[in-house]
Amino acid sequence: MMTLGVTGSILAFEPEIDRLLHPSVSYVMPGGRVLSLVKIGDSVSSKYGGEPIVAFLPSSSPRFPTDVLVSRGVVSVNQYTGEVLGVRTRGQTLLGFVRALHVRLAIGDAGRNILRWSAVAMLFSIISGLYLWWPVKRVRIRGPWLGGRFWFDLHNSVGIYSLLPWLALAVTGAVIGFEDQTAALLDKLTGSSPVHSSRSIFPSAPGGGATEITPDQAVAIACAQLPGAVPYRVQMPRYGGVYVVSLEYSDHRIAGGSNSFSIDPWSGRVISADLESGLTTRERFMATNEAIHTGVVFGLPGRAIVALVGILLPVQAASGLVMWLWRARIVPTK
Amino acid sequence: MLFAAVALARDLGGTWSGTFKVDGGDHTVPQLLILKQQGKTLTGSGGPNAGEQYPIEHGRIEGDDVKFELTTGEWKFTYDLKQTESDALRGDLKLESVGDSRTAKVSLVRAKGD
Repeated sequence: MMTLGVTGSILAFEPEIDRLLHPSVSYVMPGGRVLSLVKIGDSVSSKYGGEPIVAFLPSSSPRFPTDVLVSRGVVSVNQYTGEVLGVRTRGQTLLGFVRALHVRLAIGDAGRNILRWSAVAMLFSIISGLYLWWPVKRVRIRGPWLGGRFWFDLHNSVGIYSLLPWLALAVTGAVIGFEDQTAALLDKLTGSSPVHSSRSIFPSAPGGGATEITPDQAVAIACAQLPGAVPYRVQMPRYGGVYVVSLEYSDHRIAGGSNSFSIDPWSGRVISADLESGLTTRERFMATNEAIHTGVVFGLPGRAIVALVGILLPVQAASGLVMWLWRARIVPTK
Repeated sequence: MLFAAVALARDLGGTWSGTFKVDGGDHTVPQLLILKQQGKTLTGSGGPNAGEQYPIEHGRIEGDDVKFELTTGEWKFTYDLKQTESDALRGDLKLESVGDSRTAKVSLVRAKGD
């Protein structure tokens, strides 16, 4: 549980920490017109010997670069000048290891099983903690610094103030841990189909002398379908057979990015659309659950609360351990 | 022995289907590979279904060992398979993104009629 708390705190601000760790490929100076994806792709291709572009990740902020996915990794490009800022190669990083610890203790199936049952154990601890807190109702730390009473008050105060966020994290964490079982139960209760059918679509055959539309044209076609949404990913047709343009509504905190259009690279026709509005009950529930678990559902304050109460889990464990070791000396009084 | 070796050395060209499961993951992921063999070189494409296929890169065959890569974008897949029977490929898969690296077990069989 301590591992879950600390790693969860770090992951609540994963994008920001990642940018701090890689500043040279994370920021650009806004200014001038944004280059077309074709021009940005040309910059990458000329820098890396014509390596094919897998996908573009258009900038989400004027201060962040556009990223380009190629086989060797992710290339960051200044979208105003076309300057290649650098490439991040694939492989485990410190933050990736933190994530692996959080979801599977970095040891595969065994770790995942331990963690899913830890979420259940945390639920039990919270409920039993509330039961023990109720008769004393401590909400302030009054004892002398690091004395027996201090630990007792600390444990009670931290526990009661963190109760609701911890409860939310434990419940949503258990749902994630037992996703298959939860999803099957949801399908049974709601009678909904399990999941979207996965993309299985075929582009038209190119006619004689036909030329592919550009990624910029594909983006324009997709954006016209969903006014107000902004593109965050453009997959090239060489990788999957069609352009796949993903759009998001920045103000939708639950599944805001669940909009994808598959576009025929020869005719520019929209072949299929997977939209946020078409999510199944299961998908919507899981997306909501994840948004609560990460705090994203409440924006920056939500993420800050998740980070704070995550850090408090080791504090609670430590104070609980001290109380147990000093149990003869700590006599709660009203 | 000789017959067994000849049987295993059958051309890998054709359609292969199966699944992989990531260690520590919940689900099995469908796989459909359309392979083309030219000597020791393997090309073609792979993906979750026939409509979503990604080009195979750096494909090579050494005896029973079959190795190739493909990228879907955020993730790069590196296959290290063995032809366990003439119509079966099994082995390991390494999935790498920027920041993450995971492993999986893959099992594929040749599609009927191929």
